[in-house]
Amino acid sequence: MTEAISFYLIQFIILASALAVVLVPNPIYSAISLAVSMTGIAALFFSLEAYFIAGVQLVVYAGAVMVLFVMVVMLFDLKKEKRAFSRGTLSRVLKTTLSVLIFSMIAGALSMSFSELGSGDSIAKEDITRSIKELSALLYTKYVFAFEALAILLVMVIVGAIALAKAKGGTHAK
Amino acid sequence: MLSSIGEIGLNHYLILSAALFCIGMFGVLMRKNALVILMSIELMLNAVNISFVAFSRYQNNLDGFVMVFFVMAVAAAEAAVGLALAVAIFKRFREINIRFFEHLKG
Amino acid sequence: MEKIWIAILLLSPLLGAMINGFRFRSQNYRLAGSIATICVGISFFASVALFSKLLGMPVESRFFNVSFFDWIQVGSLSVPMAFLVDPISIVMMLIITGVGSLIHLFSIGYMSHDERPAKYFSYLNFFIFNMLLLVMGENLLIMFIGWEGVGLCSYLLIGFWFTDKEKAAAGMKAFITNRIGDAGLLLGIFLLFLMVGSLSFSDINSAGLSEDTGWGMLTLALLALFVGATGKSAQIPLYVWLPDAMAGPTPVSALIHAATMVTAGIYMIVRLNPIFILSPNAMFVIALVGALTAFFAASMGILQWDIKKILAYSTVSQLGYMFLALGVGAFTAGIFHVMTHAFFKALMFLGSGSVIHAMHEEQDIRKMGGLKKYMPITHWTFVMGWLAIIGTPFLSGFFSKDEILWMSVHSPRGSWLLWLIGFITAGMTAFYMTRLMTLTFWGKSRVPKDVHPHESPISMTLPLIVLAVLSVFGGWLGVPHGVSSLLPGHIPHLLEVWFGDLIAPIPGLGKANYALEYSLMAMSVLLAAGSAFAAYKLYTEKESLLAAWVQKAKGLHNLVANKYFVDEFYHARIIRPCVEMSKALWEFVDVGFIDKITYIVSNAFQDLAKAVRMTQNGNLQRYALYILAGLFVSLSFVVWG
Repeated sequence: MTEAISFYLIQFIILASALAVVLVPNPIYSAISLAVSMTGIAALFFSLEAYFIAGVQLVVYAGAVMVLFVMVVMLFDLKKEKRAFSRGTLSRVLKTTLSVLIFSMIAGALSMSFSELGSGDSIAKEDITRSIKELSALLYTKYVFAFEALAILLVMVIVGAIALAKAKGGTHAK
Repeated sequence: MLSSIGEIGLNHYLILSAALFCIGMFGVLMRKNALVILMSIELMLNAVNISFVAFSRYQNNLDGFVMVFFVMAVAAAEAAVGLALAVAIFKRFREINIRFFEHLKG
Repeated sequence: MEKIWIAILLLSPLLGAMINGFRFRSQNYRLAGSIATICVGISFFASVALFSKLLGMPVESRFFNVSFFDWIQVGSLSVPMAFLVDPISIVMMLIITGVGSLIHLFSIGYMSHDERPAKYFSYLNFFIFNMLLLVMGENLLIMFIGWEGVGLCSYLLIGFWFTDKEKAAAGMKAFITNRIGDAGLLLGIFLLFLMVGSLSFSDINSAGLSEDTGWGMLTLALLALFVGATGKSAQIPLYVWLPDAMAGPTPVSALIHAATMVTAGIYMIVRLNPIFILSPNAMFVIALVGALTAFFAASMGILQWDIKKILAYSTVSQLGYMFLALGVGAFTAGIFHVMTHAFFKALMFLGSGSVIHAMHEEQDIRKMGGLKKYMPITHWTFVMGWLAIIGTPFLSGFFSKDEILWMSVHSPRGSWLLWLIGFITAGMTAFYMTRLMTLTFWGKSRVPKDVHPHESPISMTLPLIVLAVLSVFGGWLGVPHGVSSLLPGHIPHLLEVWFGDLIAPIPGLGKANYALEYSLMAMSVLLAAGSAFAAYKLYTEKESLLAAWVQKAKGLHNLVANKYFVDEFYHARIIRPCVEMSKALWEFVDVGFIDKITYIVSNAFQDLAKAVRMTQNGNLQRYALYILAGLFVSLSFVVWG
């Protein structure tokens, strides 16, 4: 029962702050809401006993990425936007309906398939403690090539980000 | 259906994931500010991560965790490049509006 | 072995054409001319080699049929790239490569002042290649390639000095007139294919088609082929291009428009003689057209002042003789005349080239005269050609022409009317040729003061001498029975023996009446001598008498001197209506109808494109919306599909 309560609480925090990210006109509030949302997700991972992932979530997202966002927002000195959303009534309506439609479709499909299986909830959570050791063994054996590729990607991103940020006016330089 | 309120199953996590994904998608579609769009993309990626972890947890399989790890790394990289682009755009136009990415217009 | 010889024979001129074609800017006329001449010379030696091989073979299998590869394979149509060397084609090959190499040699001197000699020799070699394709092709399609190829080369060479608008126009006239004939030829080929189901000469000739005494399909096909022949061989009504073709360099006139290309029509008919003999009506049309062409062309030749034009009309007239021979069934006599004519007409064209070269591009015989003492070699060789063409006894023209005249009476397909036309033409031939000789070489000199005629270099006179010898002795290949009985040991009609059963016999040919043959021969000799003498007298001493005659028959003179107004008639009745009709079609049908339809279609697509372009407005979020819509649709398929 405590599990259910905590799940709904975390769920509420995540969704509310996510909606705030999307709907609040001021970007700095968006960024803060995002940080809250990330933290909520980390908590969710924690409750799922994925401790390592939860930690990484906190460090990478709530830490590094959010710092980056806030830095950029600060750098730009952004104010509350008068028109935060793009123009066009028709396209707005279309976009909103489509988003809602897709969500309801996925949710509907999920509930239907689980009720047809009839055992959606009966799959018990395995009670094995996920050790970090096990995970890292997997990372360095089965996924070692992807891991190396990831290293190369990160190097390239560092170089690319620096090159982009240093460019004076880019291709439209005067 | 959502069975008993008291028991939290895989479907709960998946629906949460779908909701988060659609919220992020909505942001990407609607917001003018490129920074907020980037944040919305982060939301979408996290939604995917939730379903990965949930599946992995309920299948007793560590591969999903590894995938989450990769997604996070790629997301961080994407954020870095996206923000660098945003900085370049801001330098040029003194504003950070998705409209300035419209030079692809045919 | 003969495969290699044939390959060398064909490819050597093509190689020469390519070499000179790639260095077409070269001004080195000696090098270009040497390459070209050597290439044709190689072909000549290959022809001689093949000829000697043929000589050593038994009569009944005296041919090479060599197939290099399958060219076209469509349904029942199978066309191999095959070449046939048999007694008929070897004669043509020897003429083409032999006379051709002499004319190439002559050209070296003639083109020494030209700006583009390499281009000229390239065209000339390409012509030889195509002409060889024409005569060696084993089926009608390969012959047709050669046929079109020589037409192309003819066009290129007539308009060789294309900066002169008139000469370029002459080239186009030749090309277009030939196209009309070629359409007929193609039609004939189609009809023959329809009847026989094959394009190979041997299949067609041995198809066992039945005789067509009326105006059936076979006659129609043969007449269509003959239309092609009238185009290429300059017969009524398509002869008009040949006199204008004299705009080209003179060696070209000698090679293409006298010795080889214009005889393609005759060769084609001889090649197909077993089926031509089956249709008396088609044969009669050929004979009649040939006789009329011979007559009218000779009459037009009488009043021309341009030395090359006279020879051109003479060529048309002589070609008419050849068709007369074919029409009465004397195919051997036709080929015989092709051969002797190739010798003496090439000789006279080259001689006229030598004269024109000496006179600094002057072609009007009124400005010549008395050239005998300036250019003795040209003069004496020209005399040989003159004697041969007017039918001086025992020279080549005598044998071949009298053979034709005799056959036009003797053959059951002939008649006295045809003989009479040919006979009068022989008199006119003697007249205009003597007029040409008198005005050019003999009598008083009318050469302008600033022109100093001179004898041509050895490269030009050597071919003249060789051709003169051939003109004198070439006739001994076809000595008639009557004469050969006086010469013990000489086989009569050597050429006929050589062709053997390749030439279909004329049905119902009776035994020769030697007395009649001799008397006809004597009559034509007397007529030729008389008219030659009259021409000499008239143009040297009695010019006032001539002027008085012209005055009296002013209408007729005008008519003939203006070439019967045929060109004007064609222009007014055929070319102008064609142009007007094309204009009408252009303005009403093309612009008014077809263009409008295409505009409607293109405008519709433009509007559609404009509408579609609205979706590509560059708005990233709009694009994302499209992706989302696609996702929605595909998810719908998964969920409800």
